[in-house]
Amino acid sequence: MAGRPSLSTNLSRWQWRHWLVVIGTLLVVTLAPLGWIQWQQAKLLNDASDNQVDSLMWQAYQLERELSRLEQKIAQAQRDPSTIDPFELQSRYEVFLSRVKLLSDVPRSDLLESSGTLAQSAEAIRLLSEFADPMFAEPEKLLASPEQLRALDERVLVLLPGLHELTREANRANARFLDERNAQLRKQGVLVISLAAVQAVAMLVFVGLLVVHIRRQARRYVELKTLSEELAVARDQAEAANHGKTIFLANMSHEIRTPFQGLMGMLALLDEPNLSGRQRDYLQTARDSAVHLLGVLNDILDVSTMESGTLKLSVTPVPLHHVVQEVDDLMQVTARDKGLTLQIEADNDLPEWVLADATRVRQILYNLINNAIKFTPEGSVSARISRGAPGQPSVLMTVSDTGVGMDKETVQNLFTRFYQADNSLRRRIGGAGLGLEISRNLARMMGGDIQVRSELGAGSVFSVTLDLAETAAPQALQSTPMGLGQTCRLRVLVAEDHPINLKYMNILLEKMGHEAVFCENGQEALQLLASQPFDVVLLDYHMPVLDGLATAEAIRQLPGSAGQIPVIMVTADVVNDTRKRAQEVGVTAFASKPLQSEDLRRALRQCGLQELGPVAAPPAPAVAITPEPAKPAAPLRPRDEVIDDASYDEVCDMMPGASMHEMLDTLFAPPEGTVPQLLAALASGDRADIHYKAHTLKGTAMLLGFRALAKTSARIEALSTDSEGPRLPAELSAQLIRDMEATQQALCETAEPPVS
Amino acid sequence: MIQRRALHKLLFISALALTAPVHALEAPKERVVLTVSGKIGVKNAGETARFDMKMLEALPQHSFTTRTPWYDRPVKFTGPLLADVLAAVKASGTTVSAVAINDYAIKIPVADTTAHKVIVARLLDDKPMPVRDKGPLFVVYPFDDSATLRSSVYYERSIWQLKALDIQ
Repeated sequence: MAGRPSLSTNLSRWQWRHWLVVIGTLLVVTLAPLGWIQWQQAKLLNDASDNQVDSLMWQAYQLERELSRLEQKIAQAQRDPSTIDPFELQSRYEVFLSRVKLLSDVPRSDLLESSGTLAQSAEAIRLLSEFADPMFAEPEKLLASPEQLRALDERVLVLLPGLHELTREANRANARFLDERNAQLRKQGVLVISLAAVQAVAMLVFVGLLVVHIRRQARRYVELKTLSEELAVARDQAEAANHGKTIFLANMSHEIRTPFQGLMGMLALLDEPNLSGRQRDYLQTARDSAVHLLGVLNDILDVSTMESGTLKLSVTPVPLHHVVQEVDDLMQVTARDKGLTLQIEADNDLPEWVLADATRVRQILYNLINNAIKFTPEGSVSARISRGAPGQPSVLMTVSDTGVGMDKETVQNLFTRFYQADNSLRRRIGGAGLGLEISRNLARMMGGDIQVRSELGAGSVFSVTLDLAETAAPQALQSTPMGLGQTCRLRVLVAEDHPINLKYMNILLEKMGHEAVFCENGQEALQLLASQPFDVVLLDYHMPVLDGLATAEAIRQLPGSAGQIPVIMVTADVVNDTRKRAQEVGVTAFASKPLQSEDLRRALRQCGLQELGPVAAPPAPAVAITPEPAKPAAPLRPRDEVIDDASYDEVCDMMPGASMHEMLDTLFAPPEGTVPQLLAALASGDRADIHYKAHTLKGTAMLLGFRALAKTSARIEALSTDSEGPRLPAELSAQLIRDMEATQQALCETAEPPVS
Repeated sequence: MIQRRALHKLLFISALALTAPVHALEAPKERVVLTVSGKIGVKNAGETARFDMKMLEALPQHSFTTRTPWYDRPVKFTGPLLADVLAAVKASGTTVSAVAINDYAIKIPVADTTAHKVIVARLLDDKPMPVRDKGPLFVVYPFDDSATLRSSVYYERSIWQLKALDIQ
């Protein structure tokens, strides 16, 4: 068995040709001798059958017999010549002679010749015929002569013992012939058996090898199967984990965005003309950080939606020049801040309108230009948007810079996730390293791709191709071209249930010079629309009673001009399905939470509403917020768990005092306050209601820095997510009440002058 | 060992009789070489019909050259068809018992005479056959015509030194 494994290993490498050759050779080696033997045997049988026809013994016996009959006739003729027909006597003699020739012509007469008996007899017969032929020529004469008959009889009688001996000899020869043949047959039989044995052994060997081979294959098959099952399980686990991660990311981003709106909004509100240079600098830094953080957040969201496969392009007619202009506006500042020249050109022969997802096209261009600016310490960045070459995607965007450039290895890994050109630059420049990956994925979704050419120290050139179909300008916009704004001061209806967002939006709209009318849900919005004229409606996606989608749908059902009013959906939801559904029900534009003035402006432009050029001076907010001016920093106190003073103070600083009280009332005052509402929901046990109210409370509490309330409401929200779960523990209500009281207590303490 | 020389009986089928020449058989003028007995319709010597060599020669003659176990070369046989001989005596049996001078006897089915061109040879390579060379008459099958004929069954039925036929 020692040699077997290597043999079977070799065997497994054999191809069908090898097998064919081996089996063929084996068959030839064993079957050829067998065939030869068969042929020999057939020949032997043929010979035997031929020899049978006139066998030796028979012929010898017949010869002897015919001689006896001749002798009897001659003897009879001697006794009584009258009873003999002379011709019959002659016939007997002739028949006897015919027998001589027959005997000598027998095929195996050689067997007889060896003894010499045949030759002696033949000679004796020849002598007899020499003597007798003349006599039998005239049979009548012979019959008439007794002397001749006697002489003849004597001769014949002398011959008889010799022929008798010849018969016996023939018998012996026959036996020898049989022996010879039997020996031949035996020999062939042995040969056949040996060959069969060889064949059997060879076959057994092959069967053995095949069995080993098949077993090995079966084993390997089982191993492979096990492995593939393990891999499948591992893959499923990995996919599940990845999917979980994606969902987690999406959820987290969503969770982060909501409070982020507050953060961004408040930062914007801080930007007052009467700030000192230093304050302005701090504010700018905070705002930059926030913008950057928002960018990273958006990138992560994009990547996770791309990974989960839910990212869809929402294609609408887009004015390409306009998109380019927007990016130009946005990036010029960044470039100028860094001391770079930014030149963005759009060729004149570009299609006016294309079918595209404007946000995504802008995102690609923004990403590339932003990158170019990041990696260019000095010099210039230029972008050019032109028609694609014939046979290529229709739009070509080229972004080139005079920056640090990249070596080959960097270029190769450029689109890999989290890879950043020159790791040493990472801290200095920042970014999640997702921009290029996102841009390339987007370009590919638009039927194009991104190519890069770069040389270390000599800048980089990124070329983006996008396959965007040319289209005609939309009817509605042709009639009201851009630039012909309808109203300077817009009457805006805002449906928003979140008190802080509501507050912020009020201030934002006022700053932008618009007039805002607020309502808490879709139902109220519909009623207001029916009774008053508005220019545009801002709808929050998540609202009680009637949510954003349902409201938009209902607005479109309204009679007259109210049904045609532009609707802007404000949502933190980035899932594409939401946007698609919203577009289907007639939403005109989107603005994402946290709502920023730029987003709102863009949304208004998309609605064909020209907003005011320079922002009108906002009404000065009330300075007094609380009886006490804001403290620079709240000292650490045991109530730290209940309230985050820093957050609370910041909000207080921004809010007019009356508004703040109002807002606190919306939280705590029964029966409409958020906390009493949640308590009521908890008592009723309606999980959807509990979930919604807990979510609302959580947002407000987090924003205001009410830690205990935020924690408890988050817990309630989490527990109420699953509608089939166990009953919510009753102590949640008690906890909520304790938290509310603790918070109110803490607020009272804040309101009192600090003991110094 | 197989018997080859004995002759006894003859049989005839009516179909053969119909095609046979319909004239009375004359008496032999020379030495008789063949005697036919048994179920026959034409006789010229008591209950038998006798033929001399001239009478056999008068029947339609046929020739073929064939290999045989008895000669080391192909030889030519000439003589009347056995079927014609049987027809000449209006034989009406199914078996012919053929007898040789040395009293060897063998049975030949009449069917053989219609299935094969069996002749009663009187010439070997166009020469009369002496008794000492299997003469004067030799029943021969055309062995080269068919492989089935090249077997001991037909070699046995090829009787030489023929002297009598008995139709049964």
